[in-house]
This record gives sequence, C-alpha cells and structure tokens, in this order.
Amino acid sequence: MDLKRKLQLAAYALFILSLFAVPLFTDDFGLNRASKYLVYGMLGLSIALTWGYAGVLNLGQGLFFGLGAYMMAMSLKLMSPTSLAQGSDKPIPDFMLWNAEPDAPIELCCITPGSYLWIPFQDQWFGVAMGIVVPVVVAGLLGALVFKNRISGVFVSIITLALVLLVRLIVIDAQPVTNGFNGLTDLGFFTVFGYEFDPYSREMYYLVAVSLAFVLVAGRLLADTRASLILQAIRDDQQRARHLGFDVPLYQTFFFVVSAAIAGYAGMLFVLVSEFASPTFMDLSFSVTMVVWAAVGGRSSLLGACIGAILINVIESQVSETEALVDAWKAIIGLIFVLVVLFLPRGLGGLAHDFVDWLARRDREKAHGLAASSSSPEREVKQDV
Amino acid sequence: MSDALTLDRLTVKFGAFVAVDDVTMSIADGELRVLLGANGAGKTTLMDMISGRVPCTQGHVRVFGRDITNWQEHKIAAAGVGRKFQIPSVFRNLTVKQNIEVARCHGQSVFKNLRFGMSPSDSDRVAEIVELIGLAAVQSLVAAHLSHGQTQWLELGILVAQDPKVVLLDEPTAGMTHDETYKTAEIIRRLRGNHTLLVIEHDMSFVREIAEIITVMHLGKVIAEGSVSDIETNDEVRAAYLGSAGIS
Amino acid sequence: MAEVLFIGLSLSSILLLIALGLAITYGAMGVINMAHGDMVMIGAYVTVMSKIWLDLSFFAAIPIAFFVTALIGLVIERLVVRRLYGRLLDTLLATWGISILLQQSIRLEFGLSFFGINIEGLGPGLQNVSVPSVLQGTVHVAGTDLNAYRVFIIAVTAVLTLVTWAILYRTSFGVQVRAIIRNPQMAAACGIDVKRVNALTFAFGSGLAGVAGVMMSGFKTVFPDMGSTLVVDGFLVVVAGGVGSIYGTILASGLLGEINALVALFSNDIIARAVVFAVVIAVIVLKPKGLFSFKGR
Repeated sequence: MDLKRKLQLAAYALFILSLFAVPLFTDDFGLNRASKYLVYGMLGLSIALTWGYAGVLNLGQGLFFGLGAYMMAMSLKLMSPTSLAQGSDKPIPDFMLWNAEPDAPIELCCITPGSYLWIPFQDQWFGVAMGIVVPVVVAGLLGALVFKNRISGVFVSIITLALVLLVRLIVIDAQPVTNGFNGLTDLGFFTVFGYEFDPYSREMYYLVAVSLAFVLVAGRLLADTRASLILQAIRDDQQRARHLGFDVPLYQTFFFVVSAAIAGYAGMLFVLVSEFASPTFMDLSFSVTMVVWAAVGGRSSLLGACIGAILINVIESQVSETEALVDAWKAIIGLIFVLVVLFLPRGLGGLAHDFVDWLARRDREKAHGLAASSSSPEREVKQDV
Repeated sequence: MSDALTLDRLTVKFGAFVAVDDVTMSIADGELRVLLGANGAGKTTLMDMISGRVPCTQGHVRVFGRDITNWQEHKIAAAGVGRKFQIPSVFRNLTVKQNIEVARCHGQSVFKNLRFGMSPSDSDRVAEIVELIGLAAVQSLVAAHLSHGQTQWLELGILVAQDPKVVLLDEPTAGMTHDETYKTAEIIRRLRGNHTLLVIEHDMSFVREIAEIITVMHLGKVIAEGSVSDIETNDEVRAAYLGSAGIS
Repeated sequence: MAEVLFIGLSLSSILLLIALGLAITYGAMGVINMAHGDMVMIGAYVTVMSKIWLDLSFFAAIPIAFFVTALIGLVIERLVVRRLYGRLLDTLLATWGISILLQQSIRLEFGLSFFGINIEGLGPGLQNVSVPSVLQGTVHVAGTDLNAYRVFIIAVTAVLTLVTWAILYRTSFGVQVRAIIRNPQMAAACGIDVKRVNALTFAFGSGLAGVAGVMMSGFKTVFPDMGSTLVVDGFLVVVAGGVGSIYGTILASGLLGEINALVALFSNDIIARAVVFAVVIAVIVLKPKGLFSFKGR
C-alpha cells in the first residue's frame, strides 16, 4: 500500500473516530445541532459523488432531500399526539381539518382531496421505505430520460434545477395534502421496537453519526470500484467510452440514483433531528448551497465535500450567535465562494491532495537519495480521490 | 468461415448530400485493409457507420455474419468492433495506466463492474500493453500531459486492451514525426494476425509498409480495390486525384 | 381571450427583457451569469434611489440604471468572469457568489449599517416606486382597455430588442460579437480583440438587466432578493430558445409567457409557473439544443 492510500485511510478513520468523540464535548442541545451538520455533510458527499466522479453538477439535489424528508415526515406526522386528538379514532393531520370542506368525513380516505395518499404512511416503516424508494425512482426515471438522450453538462444542471422548482411548486399548491408553504410540523418521535428517538439525545446523534460513517465508507468503497473508474472515463470522454462497449447512460444513471438515495436518506435523518419538513428544502438557494459546501470542501473528494459542509455550518453557527453578523456572514460566504472557484477550484480536498503529493515526492526523493531528486522527469500527477 | 467485416450496399445521406454511396466490401478474418481517398471521400463517415456513430440510410454492416447495422455504439463495440479516432481521444484526466485499465474492464453493465481491481491476468496484460506502446515511464502521468504522438499510442493501447476482433483505425499516424510513424507501424504490426484491421491512411510510405489490399474511395463511392501496385497504376485512381502525378 | 393574450404578451416581454441580456452573455461568451437577476435588482434600486436622492423622474432612471449596471458588469467581468472563460459551470458558481455579495451589499447598505449609518432606500426592507401618472390607468387600443403600464413595458421591450438586434446585425461591433459566438479562437485569430469585445458585451448585457430592473420596479415591490427568481426564469427562456440565438430567445419568451397566462386562467399562478418549468424540461430533453438553434451536422 502506498503512502497516499495510507494517508487517505487514516483521514477517513480519524474523521469517523472524531464523529463518535463529539458527545464527550457537548450537551444534548449541541448534539442536536451537530446532528444537523452531519446531515449536511452527507449531502455534500452526495453532491461530490455525481459532480466529481460523473461530471454531473446537480443543481436540484434538494429535490431528493425534500422527497426523503416529506416521506419520513408524513409518517411521523401521523404519530404526533395532535394527529390522534382530532376527534377520530384514526390519526388525522391537524392541517387537513383546517383545509377540509365543512361536511367532509374525518377520515384519511376522504377528508381532503388526495388525503388517501397518506393511508399507508400510518405504518412508520412505509414512510422510511418510501424515503429511499421515491428519490431512487424519481432519480432513475430522470437519469434514464436525461442520459439516454445524451444530455450532458450544463443542460443536466438546468433540468435538475427546473425540476426541483417544479416539484416545490406542486408541493406548495397541494395544500390539502402537504400543508403548502407551512410544511409538516409538530411531528411524533421516530420509534424502533418501542424506543422513541428524542431529537435532543445522544441516541439520535449516534443514529446520525453511524449513518454518516456508513455512507462515507460505502461511498469510498464505491469510488474504488472499477465502475467508478469507468464512470470517470465517461466523464472525460463519453464517446470514447461508448466505443469501448460501456453502456454509458446506465453508469451515469446508477451513480445519479446512488447520490439521490443518499440525499433522500439525509432528508429523512434531517426530519428526525429537526422535527419538520418544508418546501424550503426544495428552494433553489438550498440546492446551490449544497454545491457551495461541496465546492469548498473539494468537488471530487467525498470526504472533503463532507468536511466542507460541516465546517461551513459550524463556522456559520458560531458567527450567527451575534445577530448583526448573520447578514455579514452571508456576504462572506459569497466572497469565499468566488475566491474558491477562482483560486482553489479543487477545494480543500484538492489542497490536501497536493500536500500528500508533496509528502510522497519528498519521501521518494529521500529514498532515492539526492542524486535522483534533480532528475525526476515525471510531472506532478494530479489524481483526485 | 464468413468474412470478419462485410459492408453491403452501405449508404448515408445528409439531406440531399450522399456522403457514402452504395459501398460494398468485405474484409477477411485477419486481413489488414487500407482505405484510401481524398478528403471528403467518405472514409471517416464509413467508419462512423460501422461503429454506430452515424446511422446509415440504407444497407447492412455484418461482423462475422452478424448484422449490427445501426446498433448503439456500445453494443457494436461489445460485438467486437473497436475504433481509433482521427483526433486522438483518450480519457484526459485519468493516468496512462488507468486509461488502459478502463479498456480492460469487461462487461457493458455497471453492475458487472461493481468490484475492486483487476484480475492478476488482466493486471499483467495492462502492464504488457503499457510496455508495448512505450509509455511505461509515464504510466502514472495523467493523459492530458502527454504529447500528441504519445496520445496516439495511448489510444492504440486502449484498442489493444479492448481486444476487439475488428479494429478501425482512422489516420493512426496523423501529425506524427517520421520516427513516431515508424513506432506506430510497429504497434500496428503487433495487432495484425489476431485482429482484422481497417485503416484510413494518407501517408503512402506508411501504406506501402503495412498494406495488403487497398480500397480507394472517391466522392462516397468505391472506385478501386487491389494490391499496392495495382492501385498505384490504376487510371481511375489517378484521375480521382486530379490527374496529378498520382499518389506519391 | 384577447385580454389573456395581452397579459401573456406583457409577461413575455418581461421575460424577454430579462433574458435578452442573458442570451447575449451566455450565447456570446459562454458565461452563465447568475448575478444577472441582481443586476435587475440594482436597476430597480437605482429607480428608488434616483427618486429619493435626486428627485429624478421614473423615465430618467432608465439611462442611469443602464449605465450603473453596465459599469458593475464591466467590473465583474474584469475581476472574475475574465478568469473563467471556457469553464461554463464555474462561471455559474462564481457568479452565484457574486449574486449573494450584491444582495448583501444592498441589504447591509454597503456595510455602513454596521456603523449605524443608514441610507434611505437601501437596507433589508421593501421599497416601492410610484409610476408616473402618464403610465397609470388604461389606454384604449383597438376597442379594448389595456393597462397603460403593461403597454409601456411591451413598448420598451420592443425598442430594446430592436436596439440589440441592430447592434448585433448592423454594426461592426455586432459582427465581432457574432464571430465570437460561432468560434472565439477563430475570431481571435482574425484580429478581433476578444477580451475587449467580451467585456463590452458583458457590460451591455448587464445594462439591459438594469433597464429591466427599472421596468420591474414599476409593478413589483423592490427588495434585495428580488433577482433570484428572475434569473432562473431568464435562463430557462434562453436555454429553451436555443443558446446563441436571439430569435430563439424572443420566440421562447413569447411562448412561455403565453403559456403562463393561459394556464393561469384555468388554474392559478403557482400551477402556471410549474407548467412553464415542465415545458422547459420537455424542450431540453427533446431538443437539447433549444427550439431554434443553429443547424449543425
């Protein structure tokens, strides 16, 4: 195993270890905040997976995040005490009564138009399953449509952007089913075998941390497969890859779907932690913000993008404690972003790579003695993880 | 044994313009065929049709008797047709070694490639090919940093790794120096025998060195076919080259 | 029905007003300028400020807005965009950062609010512009009463489109711009000062956004974030119409504006917007080069 690989492994191990060390330093309130940052880290990773490896910049990742979030929130809404106290023996979301016709029966089947969609969500695990299935199906269909038609580059970005805004509008318009602008609030606790996950608890934090560690390791393994190498080849030259016999749209769609599944999963976790789901998840600014995290952390480094997201949010929360600085911070984020794109296009991850390359070179030169150091014809190899 | 590559009355029209007109030819298994013709004769378009890049309006393409007309590119490639482009096309952000490795990954589907690393035999083959194309010293360099000639060889290496039964080479020596051309001829000779080759080439000294049978195209049509000496003395070919001193 | 078509036409003209500048910067320079919406916002603020501080009329704000935003565009091109030619997605990201910066500088009154200094007309609040009395009420055209301000917007859009067309197709500068649209390297090889032309083109596109901002201020509330949704609409129009084609942009804005108005008639504004997004997605999927693009082999 070469030095680069060792350092990479060490970085992953160190990061995951520090995830589990956080509860030593903070209280339940802090853990709740930390959980949110980890969810953002997962989103950053999902962006880097398609952006760095497939060259597909998804400007609508909020769609998959939002879908996952809503699916989870629908189940939890039905488990909320208020839903059970609406004068029916079966749970009914409170907002449906506000939106119902005066003489409508207080039943999920028919209280508002479309309310029957909620019926299967009475089972929490249906919500959990849909939180992955719906983003996967949507991403699969979209990917098949887009990539089969050989749409690439900025056009994919624009389609994903238009789609997230489209779905956002539908969610807002479907007030009787989704509570429109207000989103789903006042949710019940996620319950596993009778144990209730309190959002402000160590257990919830560990659930999120284990999830992130799992996604990171799985993402890393996926990035080390031959499929990932072929995907990067496709990113460089689709036509060449086709003439080598690879089913290009299948590769692109597969990774797009994996990224969507991660985003959907992140959406579900976010609902558990923050206890709401809202159309703002599908705002354009949120989707672009994810891209900012990934760009700062390193667009083609999974761990880098993850750390970038967490870092930005930690700093943001520190700055936001002073009221006046909130707006100033936004301006600084804008400035950082411009500077990163101009001067550090590979982000912090790229910086780390250059450092490792430098270490490796120094190592080699030491091994070869001084004589070899002056005669290295190989230029620096920039290869992203 | 049927022929390796058979073109049957292949035609393509772009609007009213007939780029390739009723071309029929067949290339035997293991043969090296050179395709000659002036610019605009339709040679590259012919390759585009064989490899599935341009759908043909009429006619059929068969590989070992199997009709692959107008299939998708990756299916044609999987059926055993490899191609080198006129403008060298390699994976610019991957290293030389990774380029060869990609070409050595079997299977069209993403699911077949959800595994780590190469088999020992494939790894050995990759090392062999890197050696064959003379890029061993720069194998961990990203392809974007290679010189023009090196990029051409890398693309040939990708083809060798892909190991298709039928190889289409579009001007493999374009833009090369004399020494580079010599080395390219060397690589192509290695391909010979195990593969059936169709080569577009302008450099006559190079053609003389490698060719068995030459097919000459002019304005989308095949106007002559034969050995090097046949072609060099063919009147119609001379006329097609504007009555100059022929091809020299 | 005629009324709906008229509303559609005025929606179209607003779309076109925003998209025109984008069509030029994207088509000619390969720059996706996400800060374009904020140029519209700045144009609107110019109207607010010139009224408050200089007591200038609404009409006087039009040329001022053009020059202010053109100047800002020139600065952005010099400092940022110039370094990113050929990196399309990076221009999108960097200009997104600029967009945030512009919004925040208005919201924070250029940072002066930290020092307790407030400039009337800026800040996070909402601003309103009163339209001159000439443009209030209705005008009688061909037997129907039409909203005077909508007629004015349509007229201004038509004039600006004509001016843009004339610059692109009737001046030597336009020839250079079109040469760059087709092939920047070749244009440079032919002795065109690509850098200078690009800078001026970017400034002109930004200036058009500024004028659009003046128009917007007449019927919409002015606030720092108003540009974010506008730029998306503008982009969808440009992409649907076909990148690099002014005609495409004109036709696409006409199409999308009318669709918006017609769908809104039968449902509501939210659904109408959703349908417009769906149409754009369908167009990109079916015709990735846009409805009216160059024919190429």
